[in-house]
Amino acid sequence: MKIQTQSFLLLLFCSVLVLRSAVVRSENLRGVAPIDEEYYNGLSSSGTIKCRDGSKSFTKAQLNDDFCDCSDGSDEPGTSACPSGKFYCRNAGHSPLSIYSSRVNDGICDCCDGSDEYDGKINCKNTCWEAGKVARDILRKKIATFREGFTIRKHEVEQAKLSAAKDEEELSRLKNEENILKGLVQQLKERKEQIEKAEEKERAQKEQEEKQKKEAEEAKLKEQKGEEKVNVEEEAVGSKSDDEAGAHDHSPLGQDLNKAAADVEVGVAHNDEDDDRDASLDNIEEEHAEENEEPSKVTHEHDHEESSNAAHEYDHSHVPGIKKEDASKKDASEDAESLSREELGRVIGSRWTGKKTEEQDEDAGSARHNDNYDDDNDDDDDDVSDNAHDEEYNGYDTETEEDHHKYEDDDHMDDIADDDSSDSHKYESDGESDMSDMESTSNPSWLEKIQQTVRKFLEAVNPFQTPVDTFESEHVRKEYDDASGKLSKMQSRISSLTKKLGHDFGPEKEFYSLYGQCFEIKEKQYVYKVCPFKEATQEEGHSTTRLGQWDKFDESHRVMLFSNGDKCWNGPQRSLTVRLRCGSKVEVADIDEPSRCEYSALLTTPAVCQEGRLKELEDKLEEVNKEQPQGHDEL
Amino acid sequence: MEVIAPDVDLFFLNFPFLFDQPKSQVRLINHKYTIIPSSKSVYSSVAFQSSYDHSTDRSTMKSIVVFHHFLFLLLFLSHLNSISSWKKEEFRNCNQTPFCERARSRKPQHCKLIATDVTIHDGDLTAKLITPDKFQDENSTNPLILSLSVYQNGILRMKIDEDPSHNPPKKRFQVPDVILPEFESNKLWLQRYTNDGDSFIVYLFDGYEAVVTSDPLEVFVREQSSGKRVLSFNSHGLFDFEQLRVKKEGDEWEERFRSHTDSRPFGPQSISFDVSFHGADFVYGIPEHATSLALKPTNGPGVEHSEPYRLFNLDVFEYLHESPFGLYGSIPFMLSHGKSHGTSGFFWLNAAEMQIDVLGSGWDAENSILLPSDEKRIDTLWMSEAGIVDAFFFIGPKPKDVMKQYASVTGTSAMPQLFSTGYHQCRWNYRDEEDVKNVDSKFDEYDIPYDVLWLDIEHTDGKRYFTWDKVLFPNPEGMQKDLASRGRRMVTIVDPHIKRDDNYHIHKEASKNGYYVKDASGKDFDGWCWPGSSSYIDMVNPEIRSWWGDKFAYTEYVGSTPSLYIWNDMNEPSVFNGPEVTMPRDALHYGNIEHRELHNAYGYYFHMATSEGILKREGGTDRPFVLSRAFFPGTQRYGTVWTGDNIAEWEHLRVSVPMILTLGLTGITFSGADVGGFFGNPDTELLVRWYQVAAYLPFFRGHAHHDTKRREPWLFGERNTELMSDAIRVRYTFLPYFYTLFREANVTGVPVARPLWMEFPHDEATFNNDEAFMVGNGLLVQGVYTKRAKDVTVYLPKDHTWYDLKSGTAYKGGKTQKMEVTDADIPVFQRSGTIIPRKDRFRRSTVQMENDPYTLVIAVDSSGAAEGELYIDDGKSYEFRQGAYIHRRFIFSNGKLTSVNLAPSSSHGTKFLSDCTIERIILLGYSAKPKSARIKPSNHAADIELGPLQIRSGIRSSALTIRKPNVGVSDDWTIQLL
Repeated sequence: MKIQTQSFLLLLFCSVLVLRSAVVRSENLRGVAPIDEEYYNGLSSSGTIKCRDGSKSFTKAQLNDDFCDCSDGSDEPGTSACPSGKFYCRNAGHSPLSIYSSRVNDGICDCCDGSDEYDGKINCKNTCWEAGKVARDILRKKIATFREGFTIRKHEVEQAKLSAAKDEEELSRLKNEENILKGLVQQLKERKEQIEKAEEKERAQKEQEEKQKKEAEEAKLKEQKGEEKVNVEEEAVGSKSDDEAGAHDHSPLGQDLNKAAADVEVGVAHNDEDDDRDASLDNIEEEHAEENEEPSKVTHEHDHEESSNAAHEYDHSHVPGIKKEDASKKDASEDAESLSREELGRVIGSRWTGKKTEEQDEDAGSARHNDNYDDDNDDDDDDVSDNAHDEEYNGYDTETEEDHHKYEDDDHMDDIADDDSSDSHKYESDGESDMSDMESTSNPSWLEKIQQTVRKFLEAVNPFQTPVDTFESEHVRKEYDDASGKLSKMQSRISSLTKKLGHDFGPEKEFYSLYGQCFEIKEKQYVYKVCPFKEATQEEGHSTTRLGQWDKFDESHRVMLFSNGDKCWNGPQRSLTVRLRCGSKVEVADIDEPSRCEYSALLTTPAVCQEGRLKELEDKLEEVNKEQPQGHDEL
Repeated sequence: MEVIAPDVDLFFLNFPFLFDQPKSQVRLINHKYTIIPSSKSVYSSVAFQSSYDHSTDRSTMKSIVVFHHFLFLLLFLSHLNSISSWKKEEFRNCNQTPFCERARSRKPQHCKLIATDVTIHDGDLTAKLITPDKFQDENSTNPLILSLSVYQNGILRMKIDEDPSHNPPKKRFQVPDVILPEFESNKLWLQRYTNDGDSFIVYLFDGYEAVVTSDPLEVFVREQSSGKRVLSFNSHGLFDFEQLRVKKEGDEWEERFRSHTDSRPFGPQSISFDVSFHGADFVYGIPEHATSLALKPTNGPGVEHSEPYRLFNLDVFEYLHESPFGLYGSIPFMLSHGKSHGTSGFFWLNAAEMQIDVLGSGWDAENSILLPSDEKRIDTLWMSEAGIVDAFFFIGPKPKDVMKQYASVTGTSAMPQLFSTGYHQCRWNYRDEEDVKNVDSKFDEYDIPYDVLWLDIEHTDGKRYFTWDKVLFPNPEGMQKDLASRGRRMVTIVDPHIKRDDNYHIHKEASKNGYYVKDASGKDFDGWCWPGSSSYIDMVNPEIRSWWGDKFAYTEYVGSTPSLYIWNDMNEPSVFNGPEVTMPRDALHYGNIEHRELHNAYGYYFHMATSEGILKREGGTDRPFVLSRAFFPGTQRYGTVWTGDNIAEWEHLRVSVPMILTLGLTGITFSGADVGGFFGNPDTELLVRWYQVAAYLPFFRGHAHHDTKRREPWLFGERNTELMSDAIRVRYTFLPYFYTLFREANVTGVPVARPLWMEFPHDEATFNNDEAFMVGNGLLVQGVYTKRAKDVTVYLPKDHTWYDLKSGTAYKGGKTQKMEVTDADIPVFQRSGTIIPRKDRFRRSTVQMENDPYTLVIAVDSSGAAEGELYIDDGKSYEFRQGAYIHRRFIFSNGKLTSVNLAPSSSHGTKFLSDCTIERIILLGYSAKPKSARIKPSNHAADIELGPLQIRSGIRSSALTIRKPNVGVSDDWTIQLL
C-alpha cells in the first residue's frame, strides 16, 4: 500500500513536470529530458552554466547552437554536434526515448514522434500511437505473465522452505544415525577381524596339526587312515548343521537388513528373492550392452552416407563419426600416395573446417561414453569436476570400488530414464528416491535392533575362544556386510543431500523446485536437455554431447552457467549460458550456438518473476497511459 | 620390414625438415607450437592411429620390435610436424623445383650471348642475341630477339623472346590485359642510337640514358652526366633462356611432386637473369610474403639457408609470419631505395611461377665482377618457369616518381565507394537472418559506426554461389533492404570453384558452353573445394568473363539488391586435392595456354570478371566493390585485397603492417588484414591493439574463423568495448582525409598508407622502419605490437615537429624516443606543415555523415605555414570523371587560411555541390594568441578559444580553436586571424 502511494506521488510529480515542460519548453530545450530541465534553467538565471562533466562553461547562446562545447554533450542535447550526447524524445502516446546524438538529423526516423529529424531533409510521421498501442499490449501481456508467475513463485518459495527444511532435517538425522552405525560397523569389523584372526590361527594350528599328523602318519601304520577320514567327515557335517540353525535363529533381523539393503543397492545387490525389480534391472543391463554396440554401428552408417554425399559433410558440423582409418589419414597427407584425389581434397579442406577432426573427436567421445557402461571409468569421475569432490561428504572418498559401481549404475539408470521424451522430468540424483524409500518403510527402531544384535554378539561371544564358533563367525560376517552396506548407502544419501543443500537456490530458494528436473527442447535433429544443478546435453539419436556441467548462477540469478562440457576440436570445452526470463511455466526456448561450442538458451521460469520488476512494469504501463495524447481511446 | 618401407620413406621425406631449417625458422616454429598446442595432440593421435593400422596384420616378434621403433619415430616425427600447422612439405622448395634449382646453381658469367644486328625498328631499339661461334656446340639454340622501348617520364621496357622467324614449336605466353591500353600512347619513338664501341646508347629521360653492351651482353640505365648506373640487367651474366624445342627420344620432361605428376608437354622453358639496383640501401616489394618491408637477403654470405622469395599464388593454411614463402598473390615488381640514388624500380610482367633471390653483398666474391659506379648495390636473381622477358625499368628517382611510373604501366587504384572506406564486419559465418539482424542492431545499441556486413560461404545453398540457403536466409532482399535503410551494405562471397551438380544453373551453362578450365587430357578439370567436386571457370577468355559478369545482374543473382557487393575468395585458385593445393600446371586454358604460364594471373582475371559484372548491373554508374584474396599487377583497377588467413597472434598483427605497405608500394593501396587474426582467438588486448592499428590502414575489416569465439567489439566488457569503438570512431572522423588520399592514389598511384621513407627519402633512419607508417603525408602511426606494453619506441623523422593527436604535445623529429602508452591509444602524430580535414561527428555509417560539417586541423611548421587538401564527390558514381567533385587546397601562412579550388572549372554541366561547412578549425603549434578571426568574403567574425583536440570524453587537451567559422566547403574564402 505504501509503495503504491509512493509511486502515485512519483507519477504525480512526473506529470507535473510534463505539464510544466509543455509550458516552459522552448526551441532551445530541444532534446532535453523533463528531469534535466532544472539543470538548463540555470542558464536563464545565471547566464552560463558548467558542463555536467565540469570541463567547461557555456552560455545560453551556446545551448543547442550545433557546436560542441562540452565534451560530454551537455550543451548540445538537441543536435548531433557532440558525439557523446543524448537526445530525448517525448514520444507522446508511446514511451519516451533517449537516443544517441549521432541519430539527430541523420535521415532516419528514430523517435516515433519524429522529433529527432527536424532539419527538413526527411519527414518523419508520428507513429507513436500505433507503436504505443502495440507496445502497451505487449506490456499488458507481460504484466499478466508476471502476475501469474509471481503467484507461482510465492508458492514455490514457500514450498522450497518446507522442502529444504525437510531435507535438512533428514540430513541431520541421517548424520546422527550414521555416527552410531559407523561405530557399530567398526565394532563388527573388529569382531570380524578377531574372528578371522582366530580362524587364521585355527587354520594354522590345524595345518600344524595335520603336518604333525602326517609326520606321525609316516611313523605309524597305514591302517589308521580310515578312522581319520571318518572324523573329518563328521566335523564337516556338524558345522553345516550349525550354520543352518544359526540362520534360523537370526532370521527376522537378518532378512530385514537384507531387504533394506536390496532396496537400496539397486541393480547391484542381487537378492535371493526373485522380485520384479531385479528383473527390470537385468533388462536395463542388457539394454546397456546393446547401447554399447549401437554407436559404432551408427558411426559406420554415417560414414557411408558421407562418402556418398560429400557436400553435406562440410555443411553439417555435427555429423558424428567417420571411419577410424579415414580419420587417421586426415592430416597424414604425407601419405598422399595412398589417397584418392577426392580423399586428398577432403583432407586438405578439413583443415579450414576442422570438421573431420571434430568428427573423429566426437567418435572418440562416444567411445568413451561406451566405456562408461563397460567398466568403472576413472575418467568419468575426473570429469565430474574437482569441486564436486570437494563438496562431497568425506565418506564418499572412503567408498570402496564397489560403491563406485553403484553410483555408475544409478547414473545409467537415469540416462535411460531420460530417454523418455517428455518436456521435463526428474533426474534422480544419487539414489535419492531409494533412500527416501528406505526411510519410509523402515522401522525407526531399526538402528536399535542392530545395536542390540551387535551387543549380543559382543556379550555372548568370547573372542579368544577356539575353535571358532563357525555359526557365530558367519553371522558376524553377514551382519558386518549388511551394516556396512547400509552405512555406505546412508553415506551416499548424506553426500547427495549435502550436495543438494550446498547449492545456491537463490536468495529465497526460489529455484529449489528445479533441482532434480530436466527441460528439453527439440531443434532440428537435436534434443537439448537442460538439467539445472546437474548438466546440459545435446542428443542426436544415441550420441550424447555434454554441453556443460552445472557451474553457477550469474548476473544475480538471471543466468545459469553450465561449463566444462565435452571438448571441441581445436576449440574450447563446450559451455552453455541460460538466460532466465519470467514465465508461468518452466520451459527452454531459443537454443543457439552463437560461437562454435558456446551455446546459449532461454529458460522461462516463475522463479524470476520478481515483485519489484512487476511493479516497474505496472508503473510503466500507468505512465504510458498517462502520456497518451487526448482524444484517443484505447478501445 | 618391407611392409613398413613406404612409411619409412615417408619419414625420410620429411626428414630434411629437421635439418635445413634456418635457425630463426626453428625458433618461430617452436613458438607456433606453444601457441596452438591442441594441434599437437591431434597429430600425435593421428600418427599413432595410422601406425597402429599398419601393424595389425603383422605377427612376428621382429616386426613388432620394428613397429615399436617405427612408432617412436612416427611419434617423434608427428610431434615435429605438429609444431607447424603450416605443411611445409606439401609445397615445393627451390630444390624440388628444377628450374629454380638449375638457376640458383649457375655461376656468374654463365651467359655467353652477345648482341648483334642492333637497329632501330618501329621506334624501338632491337638486337639479336646469339651465341658466338667459339661457344657453339650441338646444343646451340636459335637467336633471341631483344627490343628496348622508351616511355614518357623515365620508363624503359625490355622484351626478350624467341625469334618467330625460326618457327618455335609454340608461341610463348605474354600476359595480356595488364598493361593499360593508353600506356602505348606514352611511347617515345626512338629515331637513333649512339654507338660507343661495344655500347649502343639511346635517350631515356631528362638526364638518363639506356645502354646495351654487346659482349658481354648487358642492358642498363645510367645518369647521363655522371655515368652512374641506376639499374642493370645481366651484369653478372646469369641470363638464361630455355627455348622451346621438339621432344626428342629420351627426353624426360615429366615432373613429379608427391603424388602429382606434371606432364610438361612442352618441356623446359624457364628464364632467369640478374638485375642490379645501384645506389640502393634496401630493396622492397614483390608481394605477397609475410615478411619485413625491407627484403632480407636470401643468398650470400651470412645467410645460412633460405628459400628465394617465391611468387606463386597459393592458399597456405596458417602461414608463418616470417617467411619468403609465396602467399595468395604475386606482383613481380621490386623497388630499391638508397641515399645516393633515391628510388628505382624493376617490374617483370610474367604470370608463371617466379622465384627471386636477394643476394647479400659479397655473394659474388668468388667470381668478382667490377661494376662501374660500384658504390652501393643490391643484386637480385629472377627466375621464372615460363613466359617471356617483358621487363620495365623505372628510374625514379623520387619514391613517388616510381609510384607514378609503375602506375602509368599497370594503372592506379580504382576510386573506392565512400562506404567501403568505413568499417566492415565479417565472420565465417553470420549464420542466418536473425544473426545478421542481431549483429547489426548491436552496432546501433553501442553506437559504433560500421558500413558493411559480410556473409561467408555458409550463406549459400550447398556452396553453390549466387544461391541462398533457403532455411537460413529465406528473405535475402528483405535483409539487405533492412540494412540499407540504415545506410549499410552487405557483401556475399562468390568463389571460382563451381559445384559439379547438374541441377546447378551455373554448372549447367558452364559445362554446356565449355567455359571450364580443361585438364591435360582436354576434359573439364575436376578438383575438390568447398562444394566437393568442382570445376573452375576459365576467366582468361573475355567472352567467358562477360558471361560471368552477367550473372551479377539482379535478375540472375536472385536475392541480390543494389546494396550487395562481392567477395572473391579462393581464387589462387585453391584446389584442395591439387598439387600444392592449387591447379595442376598442365591444365589448359582458352587459347591453349598452359596453367603454368598464367597461374599467378588466374585470380586477377576472376577478380576482373566479377568487378566488371558489378559495374554492368548498374549500367556502369556504380563503382564496384569486390574484395579478392589473389592478386596480380593491375588488380588495383578492380578492387580491394586482404592478406588472407592470418592468425590471432601478436606477430601477425606486427607483420600485417609491412605486408600492407608492400602492397601499397606495388600499386595495391586498398588493402588490409583481418582484424583480430582469422585463425584462433586473440586475447582481448591483442584485439584492441589490432583495432587501433587497423583503423589507420586502408581496408578495415574484422573477420574470424568459425572455430573461434565471437569477437564483435562489444563482447569484451565495457572498457574494451569503449576502446574498440573508439578506434572505429576515430577512423570515421578521419574518413574525409582517407577519401582525399584514395583520390590521390587514384590520380597518381601514390598509396594511402606509406612507408616512412616515401615521405622522408633522405632520412636514412626511416629506410627499414616498418613498425610505423604514414597515412598520406600528414599522419604518422606507430603500432603497438607487444602485450602489456607500457612504452613504445618511436622514430619521428627529422626536420619536422610532430603533434600527438590526442594531447597536442609537440615532439621534435630526428630522434628515436620512448613514449609511454596506455591501453587507450597507439601513438599517432600529425606532421608540422599539414592541414588534415576531419568530420568529428560519427554516425551509424558513412551515409548519414554526408551533410555533417568538417573540422580542419592545422599543424604549422617552423615558418608558421601549413597546407592540406580535401577531395569530395558523391562517394559512389563515376561522375567525378566528368569533373563532378570538390577539390580544395587549404593554405595557411602569415596567420591567414585560404581555400583554393583545385578542381577544373567544369564547363560541361556536371557539378558536385555540397552544403557542408567547416565548423571548427584547430591550430597546433601557432605561437600567437589571436582572439578572433575575420572571414572573407562574407566579412563576418568567428571566436577563437581553447578547445579539445578531439571531442571524446576524457580528452583534456586543448588547442586554439576557431569556433564556427561556418564557411562553405565548396567556396573560396579566407580566414584571417586577428
